[in-house]
Amino acid sequence: MNSAYKKEIRYTLIFSVLLLICGHLGLFFVAFPSLQNHMVFGFPSQYIIPVLMGWLGLMVVVWFQAKLSNDLDDEIEEYSGSTENVG
Amino acid sequence: MEQQQWVLSSPTLGIVFVGASFVIFYLIGWYSQKRAKIATDYWTAGRSIGAVTNGLGMASSYMSLATFMGVTALILNLKVPFVYMWIQFSLSIPLITLWYGAPLRRLGAFTPAQFVRERYGLSTSYITVLFMILVMVMYALGQMIGVAKVFEMLFGFNYSISLICGGALIVGYVTIGGMYGTSYNAAFQMILMGIAFVIPLGAIMKAMGGTGWYFPPLLYSDMVPAMLEAVPDFFDMKYGFKWYLALIPCFTIGAMGLPHLGMRVYTASNLKSARNAMFWFTFFCGIVFSATYTMGFSGVFFQATSGQAIAPTDFDKITLILNSVYNPAWVLAFVIAGAIAAGLSTISANLMAIGAMIAQDIIATIKPNLPDKTMKIIGYAAIAGGGAASILIALDPPTFLVVSILWAFGLAGVTVAPAAILGVWWKPANRYGAFTSILVSGLVYILVSPYIFPDIVISTGLQAKVGMSGSLFCVPLSFFLLTTVSMITERIPSLMMRIPVEQDKMLVDKVHGWSEYSDERYNSTTAGIIIAAVSLFFCIYAVLPGGWA
Repeated sequence: MNSAYKKEIRYTLIFSVLLLICGHLGLFFVAFPSLQNHMVFGFPSQYIIPVLMGWLGLMVVVWFQAKLSNDLDDEIEEYSGSTENVG
Repeated sequence: MEQQQWVLSSPTLGIVFVGASFVIFYLIGWYSQKRAKIATDYWTAGRSIGAVTNGLGMASSYMSLATFMGVTALILNLKVPFVYMWIQFSLSIPLITLWYGAPLRRLGAFTPAQFVRERYGLSTSYITVLFMILVMVMYALGQMIGVAKVFEMLFGFNYSISLICGGALIVGYVTIGGMYGTSYNAAFQMILMGIAFVIPLGAIMKAMGGTGWYFPPLLYSDMVPAMLEAVPDFFDMKYGFKWYLALIPCFTIGAMGLPHLGMRVYTASNLKSARNAMFWFTFFCGIVFSATYTMGFSGVFFQATSGQAIAPTDFDKITLILNSVYNPAWVLAFVIAGAIAAGLSTISANLMAIGAMIAQDIIATIKPNLPDKTMKIIGYAAIAGGGAASILIALDPPTFLVVSILWAFGLAGVTVAPAAILGVWWKPANRYGAFTSILVSGLVYILVSPYIFPDIVISTGLQAKVGMSGSLFCVPLSFFLLTTVSMITERIPSLMMRIPVEQDKMLVDKVHGWSEYSDERYNSTTAGIIIAAVSLFFCIYAVLPGGWA
């Protein structure tokens, strides 16, 4: 098995976890109630942290996802000389 | 507190703004469509849409009329838990692109159903198409109802006439424009609805005394102490762990199964552009989603502090009400045009998906050698037919605007996403597994909804109505059935002889970009066993009592 394949699996799993964390931080606050009701930027923590992570945090993750996936595509293409469209 | 019914006092300006926006939509549709040279261009816009335009289009097909109406109504009802429900919708396009959008783009697919056909065969694809059309009709239905309600307010017609007039106008421009028109219109509509939502919201906040009015999506913390005094439970999480966990199968995986979102990836000029588009998607979505929470916050704040109660039947008009109270009439007219643009962008994406599935996944499969001209006519007819069906169903609509749309998410998550994800990433997934999984879990999801047999449900209340409890059980069930049936049938040679196993497996390598086949890739039995075991665990967890409140 070549490294591009392992990298593809690794990226997919890691980015899935990161994306889910960004969009589902409410789960952490309900699982650990002691994290709630600390004021952050003037809002309760259980509100503003999920809102910020679901937008700005997500943008950062998605930027890395796009960059690394594009690089990986080049690597797979180089390895197998494939064309983009197989249809 | 006396409840007040809200009606639009001066509709002329609204009519002018909405009329002007429709003229622009038709012009964009007509000019864009001229670029379609062959029938397939009609569905994929010649796979030529750039990253920013596509990002705007992706965001706009998510910015439905619910953004202006249903969401703020639900924030008024549920308060903060609904915000958590909404935040995770931004994950859809990044997850679709990550898990199967890019491979399906490589395959040259029009819809996820086309991949299902290539990967699992005709019978499975027909069931998938039927479920997808049901999902898309329900989705479009909510938007049609919303547009009709806005037309009702605007023109003073009764609901049925508003629905038929508004619906006909929408179906007309989508049919004329095809995917070229839909994509460029969606980008324009996203800009229009973003401006129409966020800037007037700033004026509302300023009038309410907020000092952060110049950036409404995030700067309203100075209003928080007054809110906590007036509505102490506004920021309470209210529900239990199971409720928040159920958001993942119902809405995150559900959104991954929505064909009209996947189609945005296929219209990209290339894969890199599709991935760059998802960055823009999260940016634009973030602005409008965050502003939606602010609007909901302002609505609750207004109701609690102004002494004016809003009738429950008017909860979904809160955006319009706040604008009518705090902004001049022409701003309200502009907001109404933005709300209609939001509804239109989603309906057009839904109708494109319905049309593509009828024309490409059903008719072109049954009659593969039809001339290009005939396929174009079938395309127009498919979209117009899908639109007419949505209008007819919307004549006798469900009571609450958003609920049917949210329930449809779960159905997409149950019937489409597991088959597409495992089809791309797990070679042992076979036609028997996919057929059983889609059919059984789809039917079970419908069966355990409170709409068919109210006594056979996984849970009750909101989580049952919007499909969260059903999805928490049925999405894992779908993964479980697909993996176990595939692994069992793989060991029965007489069954394996009937399907083109090698060809199906080779497709997996191809859609990932590998030109040479290797049995070592995407072929782990251990992975299948782990997926089946984890899925079974969640199926059992879903039916255990408690955990929702």
